[in-house]
Amino acid sequence: MHREKVPACVHPETYKYFLDRDAVISTWQRLAARWGEPRHNPSFRTMEIAAPRFTLRATVLGNPITVLRRRECTAADVAELHALLGYGE
Amino acid sequence: MVTGSDLVPRLTMQYEPATYRRRIAGHDVIIHCHHYNARLQRTIEGARGIDGKGILVGAAEVVFGDQLARALRPGDDEVTRWAVAELLYRHLGFGRIDLSRIGEGIVTADSSHFVEGWLAGLGETTDNVCSFTEGYLQGAVHAVTGAAVRVREVECMARGAGRCRFEVDRGERPAVAANHKEPAIASPREPGGPYAKSAHVDEQAIIDAVVGMPMIGDDAGLIPAFSVYLANMPADFYNRICIGFVEAMRGLGRDKAAIRLLVSDAEHCGMNTFRGIMHSPEWDGLIAPMVRDRADALHAIIAISNALGWGDWHVTAHTPRTLALESRYGYEAVGYREYRGLAAAPQCAMLTGVAAGVMELVYGEGTVEERYGTFSAREERCVGCGEPSCNFAVEQVE
Ligand SMILES: [Zn+2]
Ligand SMILES: [Zn+2]
Repeated sequence: MHREKVPACVHPETYKYFLDRDAVISTWQRLAARWGEPRHNPSFRTMEIAAPRFTLRATVLGNPITVLRRRECTAADVAELHALLGYGE
Repeated sequence: MVTGSDLVPRLTMQYEPATYRRRIAGHDVIIHCHHYNARLQRTIEGARGIDGKGILVGAAEVVFGDQLARALRPGDDEVTRWAVAELLYRHLGFGRIDLSRIGEGIVTADSSHFVEGWLAGLGETTDNVCSFTEGYLQGAVHAVTGAAVRVREVECMARGAGRCRFEVDRGERPAVAANHKEPAIASPREPGGPYAKSAHVDEQAIIDAVVGMPMIGDDAGLIPAFSVYLANMPADFYNRICIGFVEAMRGLGRDKAAIRLLVSDAEHCGMNTFRGIMHSPEWDGLIAPMVRDRADALHAIIAISNALGWGDWHVTAHTPRTLALESRYGYEAVGYREYRGLAAAPQCAMLTGVAAGVMELVYGEGTVEERYGTFSAREERCVGCGEPSCNFAVEQVE
């Protein structure tokens, strides 16, 4: 997997994480177990999990996942997320 | 006891499809992002020789005093009235204020749309930035108790404080002004056009999807959508601060420079906001499948801006180097007429700047700064001057 920085006014460190195709379902299962089931937005065909320090949002295909950090988000929060996503620098 | 959820129906948004206007508690609200709002504040407060902060605080006091009064009911006790004041602020997307100690003259805020906008777009600051909230609180005290007070921010999250903290000064001051506008300018009855359309982009589907989004503050009073923070700002607030800014600058012989600054803020905002939107999952899910070329992207962007209430504007002609747009009920033009009567010159700085910014985004190359200024826009006719529509012409700069 890899990530790409995307421009977003909400936080300068905004990335899209591109999951390996066969990891999409299991990754969302891990994220849901940690922060709750995703909510679907049918009109935009998106799904998201709102965690306290960031929002994880994707199209209904679940990939890539855009991570929108809140300002309070710490390095430890990001490290925890990366572990769940299976992302290493 | 009245709970917060009992109060929410008072703030239900009413949507007017013919003009794309959204109305909450008797006020038309326009959805802009934290980036634009913070930039506008910096422009007005940063201008030398005028009291820019006073313009912002005064506008928020008058407008939110009025909007909150319309959300109150004759039987409300004081506890309920303060609850409505907290709720309106959060609901519109400005953050979260705690009014539980207002009797002691202390208000705190642990979440703020303007602080987010300032830190994300403009960086560290040595000043408190919550002028908007000072004005909101002055308006709230007036709506709830009838008193005219001064509210001063003494600690701000933008300067690293854990929360913003405000003090209420009940000393002598002039009365709170009424939000006087007349006569109301009605929306046009006849349909406009003809307009240029994209064969691939279903503008109505985009508008329906955006209008169907719950654009209300979350627990923290923020509205994260399209990778920005949005807020529902009363059109009257934008109009009062922009008219007030240009008039104050006119006193210094600098009104043309003031308008250029307002256009420039919107040009940056048009690029930044829509660049973020075009990379958002919402765009990927609904809009990207409709977009085959750059012209399609432009039509999709205009559809989103209409759903946000910016202007009831549509493309009348378009090439990769030129764009013509018509707006029939933009809030800047209509608001100017209602506050000041007929204008001598076009008034729609926001739409003018966004028109250029959108072309720079769709057809330009490079960073936002490299694209800035590569298209120029001018408003050729304006509803503010008594014309039936505002017309914008954008051209690539040679
Ligand atoms: Zn503050
Ligand atoms: Zn106009």
